[in-house]
Amino acid sequence: MKLEFTDDMREILEEFLIEADEILSSLDQDLIELEANPEDKDLLNKIFRGMHTLKGGAGFLGLTSIVEIAHKIEDIFNQLRNDEIKLTSDMMDLIFEGVDKLKEAIEMLKENDEIPDEEDIKDFLERLDAVFSGGEVVEAEVVNGEGQKEEKQSSDDIEFVEGVDEDIKELIRKYPGKDLGEILEELILLPPDERPPLEVIEKLEKIIAEGKDVKDLIKPKEEKKEEPPAAAPEPEPAPQPQQTETKPEKKEEKPQQQQQQQPAKKKKSDKKEEVIRVDVERVEVLMNLVGELVLDRNRIVKLASGLEASCESTDTIEELLDSITGMSRTVSDLQDAVMKLRMQPVKKIFSKFPRIVRDLAKKLNKKVNLVLEGEDTEIDRSILDKLEDPLIHLVRNAIDHGIEPPEERLKAGKPEVGTIKLSAFQEGDRIIIAIEDDGRGIDVEKVKRKAVEKGLISPEQAENMSDKEAYELLFMPGFSTAEQISDVSGRGVGMDVVASTIHSLRGTIEVESELGKGTKFIMKLPLTVAIIRTLMVGANQRIFAIPLYSVVEIVRYEPENVKNIGQFKSFMLRDEVYLLFSLNELFDIPDTDEKQFIVIVRVGEKNIAIAVEELFGEEEIVIKPLGKLLENVQGIAGATITGDGKVVLIVDTNSLINDKKSQLVGVL
Amino acid sequence: MSDIEVLGLREIEKEVSTEERLITFYLNEELIGVNIKDVIKITKDVDITPVPKTKEYILGVMNLRGNIIPIVSLKKKFNLSGEDNLEKPMIVVVETELGHIGITVDRVEGAVNINPDEIQPPPMNSIGIDPEFIDGVIMIEDATGKKELLTLLNIKKIFRAENL
Repeated sequence: MKLEFTDDMREILEEFLIEADEILSSLDQDLIELEANPEDKDLLNKIFRGMHTLKGGAGFLGLTSIVEIAHKIEDIFNQLRNDEIKLTSDMMDLIFEGVDKLKEAIEMLKENDEIPDEEDIKDFLERLDAVFSGGEVVEAEVVNGEGQKEEKQSSDDIEFVEGVDEDIKELIRKYPGKDLGEILEELILLPPDERPPLEVIEKLEKIIAEGKDVKDLIKPKEEKKEEPPAAAPEPEPAPQPQQTETKPEKKEEKPQQQQQQQPAKKKKSDKKEEVIRVDVERVEVLMNLVGELVLDRNRIVKLASGLEASCESTDTIEELLDSITGMSRTVSDLQDAVMKLRMQPVKKIFSKFPRIVRDLAKKLNKKVNLVLEGEDTEIDRSILDKLEDPLIHLVRNAIDHGIEPPEERLKAGKPEVGTIKLSAFQEGDRIIIAIEDDGRGIDVEKVKRKAVEKGLISPEQAENMSDKEAYELLFMPGFSTAEQISDVSGRGVGMDVVASTIHSLRGTIEVESELGKGTKFIMKLPLTVAIIRTLMVGANQRIFAIPLYSVVEIVRYEPENVKNIGQFKSFMLRDEVYLLFSLNELFDIPDTDEKQFIVIVRVGEKNIAIAVEELFGEEEIVIKPLGKLLENVQGIAGATITGDGKVVLIVDTNSLINDKKSQLVGVL
Repeated sequence: MSDIEVLGLREIEKEVSTEERLITFYLNEELIGVNIKDVIKITKDVDITPVPKTKEYILGVMNLRGNIIPIVSLKKKFNLSGEDNLEKPMIVVVETELGHIGITVDRVEGAVNINPDEIQPPPMNSIGIDPEFIDGVIMIEDATGKKELLTLLNIKKIFRAENL
């Protein structure tokens, strides 16, 4: 169903979407916790409130199918928290399905202002009704952003002082916990056809003009319910002397969240009103401009130091240098600040995993406990977005191939329930994301056998291969150890896709594994995509930038340490033998000049020596794309513009070596 | 075009609305025109950084106001004779589906207005460029009255992923 929104409504819609996302993303986690503690009243209340808020917002915007689903689920939770029904696993599945339906609807809404047709959800709603027939579904009320049974009931108890207008009484009942000013605002915000007649609003305005408020219109009443005892006996009316339960309930909400959720969760909901939505493109533009500014700054700093060297020192020059230093600092701060705009906590994708793990484990009849760590670690949004699929794949793999079935685990003397740990933390200018399971580990011999069978390596290569190198095989295209392709992990996207995605983000992926103990995949990713530190090297009179994170060591080129082994050259350094290439041969460019230095770079699990002619030192650079025409050039990750306006190409060591990779396996 | 005296007033108005403006340049001895709407900038004496492991007609990349722009040699692309002047290149930056791309030319002539009605289909043995990429030819006259054949190149079509 296509919807149309006016500009005003669109603003409200956007706010609703943010809120809905928040509610739904914490919902999965809450539901999984609930599965463990089905009696947890706090949790039940929280989910109930979330659904209620969602329903209210959707009702206001006329999103009928969302209202209906949310309403049903709200209803279920109302019954659950009142102990009218007991939660079963089947119910849980249905509730999860409902949450998925809501997510779908929100996605549709985001993408093209559409919501599912009532027809499409009818079937689901009927199934819900069938399972939860115990609770009579309350006839669909006219939802308009508030008006929930429970609140109404309690607000009906309000006794008014004499002479209060009926319309006003009704309003106060309808908006419990709000003062008259707030009620007036609510009314004005309502769509015209839902707004009460003008005279009601006028009456309300009149009362407000008289300086009266809700507390002057209602009788203070002995609160027999859960109202804090302190509030009732208070002689002079406190700010909210005795309104309904809504207020205290809301207050409770915060400590509750603090307890169950990670601290950041609370921060997020508290901050909600201070957040503005900015088009990613605008941030992108800003980022580019700052990048330019950084380069200009570098240029100016360079020129200024030249000027200082060639001119006599005068006051003007001193002042110029001072102000350049100041500007320089501001530009750096600006760069940091803009960079932060793009950072998002990994929670954004981590929060999807409890649900994924639950569903998968259930499907595969395994018992898995998911541990999340460092969810507040922030990483560049564009990296984060691309990380989701690889992570899902790795987690799937861990459940499918890593964690053993419960019987097997018990037999092996392990706890019945397997553990998968998903963690993230920052280390310098890298973010480390790891997925660890305590499953059966990787059988190196099996991996090698498979690789030989598939013709990826020769039997001799397999023989000489270290365990680390064998793990590397997992990432080769055309490799899959699954005896049978299950519909869980065998979906065509293999580990090779995971590895290439990580590499395209200028990250690395490593494997640690112990047979029978478990496996750990460690991804190291840059904090941000836009700026990196590089080592400037020269080959054939040209300058190339090698990202510093892949540089292990730099040494002088010593011809006596270079040996030929088969078709390759090797370089000896402190008892270690490295394969040696010149940058020229890797790039197919003329190779005539003397080599001066050797840069040892890390490529996957291997260190490789690359000979270069010159070394220009370290530089921080802004990465720029080469454009669509040159999108997939092998060995080049992009380019940058140096202080003097020249273009320098950035080396992508991984794809540079790719050509040689298959020949290299097992060599050294 | 200096036709104002020749044509009637009404016709001029009509003429103006249908006129097309081209940027013209020489590739070897051939005068080539591209629609001015496709041209972003004309620049010269830039540094071209060669990019390894790319097709031969890609000369490299340059810096245009902080953006990296690939440079393509049309001579190499269409197997025309002659070399590009890489020491002092003259580059016309055009807008394509693949982003901004610089093309090397031997000499930029200038801008010219043409009447699309006068465009002729390309002769069979036109300058060696695949006729697929040529919109047609037109005879133009310079200030001294010298007539010359102008080949209209369809830049957008050349730089489509499937044609590279």
